[in-house]
Amino acid sequence: MKKKVLSVLLTVAMTASLLAGCGSTGAADSAPAADASSDTADTSADASSDTAASGDVEEITWMFWDDLDATEDLISKGYKEVIDRFNSDYEGQYHVTPITTNLEEYYTKLNALVASGETPDVFIVSPGPNLTTYVEPGVAADLTSYLDADWKGSFSSDAVFAQQTYDGKIYAVPLNIAAACVFYNKEMFEEAGATVPKTWDELIDACEKIQAAGHTPITISAGTAWCLSMLAGYLCDREGVDLTKIESGEESCNNSKTIDAANKMIELSQYFQPTAAGDTNDVATAGLYNGEAAILIQGSWAIGQINGENPEFEQKCGVFQFPEIPGGNDPNRVIAKSDSLAMSSTTKHPEAAIALMKYFTDDTAQKYTAEVGGKIPVTKVEYDASKAPAQLADVMDIFTNASSTFGFYNESLFSTEAGSTFDDNMVAIYLGEKTPEQAFDDLDAWYAANKK
Amino acid sequence: MKSETKKISAVKVLIYIFLCFMVVIYLAPLLWVFSVSFKTNGEIFTNPFALPESFFIDNYVFAWTAGKLGIAMANSLFVCVITLVLSMFLGSTVSFAIGRMKWKLSGLVMVYFMMGMMIPVHCVLIPLFTRFAKIGLSNNLWGLILPYLTFSLPTTIFIMTGFFRSLPNELVESACIDGCSIYQIFGQICLPLSKTGLFVTGLMTFVANWNELLLAMVFISDDNKKTLPVSLSKFVGPYNTNYSQMFAAIVIAIVPTIIVYCAFSNQIVDGLTAGAVKG
Amino acid sequence: MDKLLKDKKAIAVFVLPAFILFTLILFIPICQSIYYSFCDYDALTKPEFVGLKNYKNLMIDDTMKIALKNSLFFLIYSCVTQLIMGLILAGLLTNIEKGRNFFKNVIYLPCVLSSAALGLLWMFIFSPKLGINQILARFGIEGPLWLMDIKGYITLPMWVIAFVALWQYVGQSMMLYMAQISGISKSLYEASYIDGCNRVKSFWHITLPLIKPMVGTAMSLNAIGSLKFFDLIFNMTEGGPNHKTEVLATHLYTQGFKYFKYGYASAIGTVLLVLCLIMTFLINKLFKSENYEM
Repeated sequence: MKKKVLSVLLTVAMTASLLAGCGSTGAADSAPAADASSDTADTSADASSDTAASGDVEEITWMFWDDLDATEDLISKGYKEVIDRFNSDYEGQYHVTPITTNLEEYYTKLNALVASGETPDVFIVSPGPNLTTYVEPGVAADLTSYLDADWKGSFSSDAVFAQQTYDGKIYAVPLNIAAACVFYNKEMFEEAGATVPKTWDELIDACEKIQAAGHTPITISAGTAWCLSMLAGYLCDREGVDLTKIESGEESCNNSKTIDAANKMIELSQYFQPTAAGDTNDVATAGLYNGEAAILIQGSWAIGQINGENPEFEQKCGVFQFPEIPGGNDPNRVIAKSDSLAMSSTTKHPEAAIALMKYFTDDTAQKYTAEVGGKIPVTKVEYDASKAPAQLADVMDIFTNASSTFGFYNESLFSTEAGSTFDDNMVAIYLGEKTPEQAFDDLDAWYAANKK
Repeated sequence: MKSETKKISAVKVLIYIFLCFMVVIYLAPLLWVFSVSFKTNGEIFTNPFALPESFFIDNYVFAWTAGKLGIAMANSLFVCVITLVLSMFLGSTVSFAIGRMKWKLSGLVMVYFMMGMMIPVHCVLIPLFTRFAKIGLSNNLWGLILPYLTFSLPTTIFIMTGFFRSLPNELVESACIDGCSIYQIFGQICLPLSKTGLFVTGLMTFVANWNELLLAMVFISDDNKKTLPVSLSKFVGPYNTNYSQMFAAIVIAIVPTIIVYCAFSNQIVDGLTAGAVKG
Repeated sequence: MDKLLKDKKAIAVFVLPAFILFTLILFIPICQSIYYSFCDYDALTKPEFVGLKNYKNLMIDDTMKIALKNSLFFLIYSCVTQLIMGLILAGLLTNIEKGRNFFKNVIYLPCVLSSAALGLLWMFIFSPKLGINQILARFGIEGPLWLMDIKGYITLPMWVIAFVALWQYVGQSMMLYMAQISGISKSLYEASYIDGCNRVKSFWHITLPLIKPMVGTAMSLNAIGSLKFFDLIFNMTEGGPNHKTEVLATHLYTQGFKYFKYGYASAIGTVLLVLCLIMTFLINKLFKSENYEM
């Protein structure tokens, strides 16, 4: 008898678990099935869920991709100051708790929170496909009405919202802008008799002279794929590649302009440091500030790192705009990247969230952005140019004279994976693994297979 | 005869030279990271192999405090100890039932548990991640403990079943005659006699979980809940990496294990080997 | 006595907690994962059944081909080299007395260390500006790009990673063989010396045949371990350059947690699962049947 009971019990347990499995897979997004809840009843008290019980303080969360305490990044440090200032100014009314991860895992963690219905009230996001992922399913809130009320006027221009606007509605607020420029070692240029190049031929000429003077002309990282891809992006744009047409499928990736751009990249690669293929971003940047190479093509966020690691280099470091390719596109276009904040559409405390976002764009924060962080502020704030890094003035010049800006190529394609595929193919061209034709054909094939 | 001993000793010398070479290959990287961890970022790039100019302790202070490696170590310890205790307990009860008690389905249940040995954790990563996110177990140390426990059960059960089966029948019989209940037989007689087994399985569980990266990386995002292997990646910032502190962090991550290992190396090596032989 | 040992209630108390846990955390998720592999599913949408689409995409996915190739390379490499190196080390160590423990413990040490930390460490050692290339440069040798070279069917970075894996885990194989060798009765060797065998010969004719079952155990550990391999690659190259060092586990991670293609990643997971089952089955077939001879 007992035997039977046990075997029945086991069978029941087995089938029940099977059913539970199937049931929960069938409707995976229904309420959590009863199965696992027994283990967890007492453990689900999550830090982020509710501490709001204390009085009437409105608790919000802010999610960010760098550890605020461990970071060396000046911009991240500035964000920490903003958070501290907000919490002390609004004490008793609002309180924000940061959720931090590292960049690598950021979107994984954000998506997990979104999926579990605990979207952080305010979160940082890169404009481009990443922001689109949150705008399309309605995770990010429409901020237009808040901005129009009394906020938008403080921004330097409406153009700063270009990458955050979808159908005329603004879904994220930019905090700062970094522009990709060419940094160079003035001393080395002088010694080699090279001048600041305006055109492609002059760039090649300058590299030639620097090499003749016994220095490495260019330090770049192909180990960190996006660094090389940034150069490829500039070359493509200067050649006149129209990314929107490629995205919409009107043009093939493999066209005369992209091929020309890739061939120029190969031509330039003879001036790279010999270890470019293996060097990471940091090592490549160190190559410039340690005086091993003359030219670095990098985003202006590198200024903080350059001056921080070698303060003596600040005065030797010049900046120029990526040269023109005669017969190509407008040479005053600049690659720009902004950090942007989005608000959860399901936040219970929109006022607190907006108040926090305004703290990121107030004069104190924006002054810090320019003077310490070395990035371009998004508002009309007055800052003390003498306190700001020497290179910022040049970057500002380039940026204000820019006819228009465009995003990183890898962040302008329809998905993150498309961006990585682009990066990887650029590295493959550089390493000689693929010819430009092969690489762009592969990109076309990838698009055909993956774009819906 | 004399030439014979000479020949043998020549061979011996060769063996020792080879082994010393192996020791260099094994210890040099560890010593190198130790030396680099005392350097400043600038020193690392300009002269990675020289001894550090001065002992730059700041890397360690920074890695320990701001990098939250202290917290990470506490988290790792918490997760591993709880998993260890639970897996020993749950594993040995099952093993006792399978190894000593008489029931029809015991063979089948054993096969069911042994299935776990072949299944890589990657296969359950996505379902667990989505499920845990919904019930508040992601970003929660218990969300690590449950899968760690589950994946350590198969080996524990395999080894412990062997131990329980090897116990002499007379022991259980005499206990029965003395009027012990089945729970007493398990807890007071069989379990104490299987200490070696517990030690071996405990060691295996602890070492495996202490070093586990993938689950911890996917499940935990809160800095205050990260375990040691995951915390190492913290020094890779958005646009730059803090090399010297990363080296200090690597040292902090491996030194406790090395210290424990040095103190108990023979037991650990033999224990883990015994576990692997049976597993 | 029998009554006591057939106590159904006690059996239930003993078995059920672990059984339920196992079902919830392992069995159900496996079923779910297999179901997801037939779905279009990303982080922010619900799974939608699409039949074999993910598997069809796997067939034409170049990265998947590389990952599969690398995983199989890794499997074969680690089985072969661990066997050879493990046997050599075990053979040498059982033949010396002085310092045996020291050498054994040093070689075993990396097995208990975090492969995440060791991966980072080796990444730096093989990076062009920091590591061995700097030493080589002192002798006027220009070292290769250890972790970035892309030439060849199996690229250099794969060999480097495979070497590091051997470095880390050979201690385990060595110990397994040593345990088995020290179990062989001394009289067998003495008899063989009387018959005129030297040490090498006796190793060949006595030791090898007698440790054959252990070879099976060690191999199955290596095989499953190398298919699961993730930490070292993730921290050394993250699958790069251009996916040349991708293995199944890293490909799964990238697709699942970088691009959030849960359905597709589940399909990769299913392939991995099937491979693991096949390997276990094969090794059992090859070695387990002879296990009883000892």
